[in-house]
Parts: sequence; structure tokens; C-alpha cells
Amino acid sequence: MLLIPCPFCGKRNESEFIYGGPVGADRPDPNAATDQEWVEYLTVMPNPLGPVQENWWHARGCGDWFTIWRDTRTHDIVEAPDGTK
Amino acid sequence: MSYDVTFQRCGISALFDLKGAVDAVEAWVGDALPDFPDRPNYRTGKDGKELFFIGRDHWLARAPLEQEVALEARLKPTDCPVDISIVRVSDTTTFFRVTGPDAGEILAIACPLDLHDSMFDAEAVTYTEVFGLKALVMRCKDGIEFGVEQSFADMIEEYLSRATA
Ligand SMILES: [Zn+2]
Repeated sequence: MLLIPCPFCGKRNESEFIYGGPVGADRPDPNAATDQEWVEYLTVMPNPLGPVQENWWHARGCGDWFTIWRDTRTHDIVEAPDGTK
Repeated sequence: MSYDVTFQRCGISALFDLKGAVDAVEAWVGDALPDFPDRPNYRTGKDGKELFFIGRDHWLARAPLEQEVALEARLKPTDCPVDISIVRVSDTTTFFRVTGPDAGEILAIACPLDLHDSMFDAEAVTYTEVFGLKALVMRCKDGIEFGVEQSFADMIEEYLSRATA
């Protein structure tokens, strides 16, 4: 069982949350992007071996949406890697 | 195994959902409600009315049902400024009280949150889960009170009957 840190409520049981998928790349300008870049943006989800940034919704809690970093090798919630926002 | 608890279905309360920046909501409600709690997931109270800080820019005001009309007249939900929202939601939530020496045992079955005094004190109030449903949980005299979406109230009453049998 994961304890997920909600910015409003603090650490809560994962059963209170709904997973919102990985945080994808910023939306490219459709007029400037190549077809390949556009298809990548629409269809390729981040799937790293290591830290991945994810959206979570505290649905059975305060209702906030927020992001965490989770290491896919250990399932641990980790600090954001250096140089990320 | 049976537990030394009783439970009570308390029915509905006067409930108003308030959203917006704290300064704007506070300015509109004036002294109609208790002071706004400064800690997330805490409550304040005054004259039988309570104010729960349940989410970012989000509060719930609760009062006895007989005060609903008067409170609505004070909060004026339909006249409030466009940058805040006040909605009467009294009908949405049914409250239950689980009291007695073993109340904590029942809530330990129902709820993933640590409700021991040291972790969840008298003025704490939060949404979490009770029997898998979203529920508003707080302390009451000799136990725990919680509110669930009213259409689940019969089911929760049956769960409590089984858990306390
Ligand atoms: Zn939360």
C-alpha cells in the first residue's frame, strides 16, 4: 500500500486517490510540429525505468489534483530529479 | 466477536458548500459563520454552527437543520459575487455517530485513516473513506461522527449493524 502525500491533506492511503496517468510532454504548436512530433505527443506516454512524474486525484479526500514522482523500479515516491519542475 | 459500541443515524444537517479565495468568501459571509479555520482539515465553531476547511479554497458550513432557512438568508447563495460559490447541499449527506469504548475498533475496520487522538484531534475534520465510500469524518462526544452521500445511508446503516452485531 502506498502512502501518497497530498499537498492539502498530507500522507494518505492510496485507496483515497485515483491515478491520472503520467505527466506527458507539453503540447507542441500544431502548426509548427511535424506529423511525427504530433503523433508522438498524442500517443507516446512516458514509461521510464526509474522516476516518472504522475498525476493523482485525491478523489475521496480534498479533491485536489497534484503530481508526484514515483520510481518504477521500487514503487517508492521520490524527490523530483534535479533539473525538473 | 462483538464490540462495546452504539451507532446512531443522525440524518441530515444544514450544509452549505463554500468555494473561492478565502478573503472573498470571508468578506461575503461576514459574521454569519464561525472564524475561518487556518489549518487544512480542521473546523471552528460558534453558536451551534461549524465551519470545516475541507479542501483548497473550499469549506463546508454545518448547522442544525432547523437553522437552515435562517442561515441561507444570511449567506444569500444566489446573490453572492461571481468569484465565489455558495451552494446549499444539506440533502446530499447523511451523518452517523459511532460511540462507546470500542468506537475506534469499528472505525479501524471502516477507515484507512489513523483516528487515534494523537493523530486526529478533537477539531480535525476531513474527507476520507468509510467502508470504501467517500466520507466526512470528525470526532464527536465519546466517538466518531461521519457523513456519507445520503443515497448510501441505508447501506452504511446495514454495514454498521453487521460490524457492531
Ligand atoms: Zn487531499
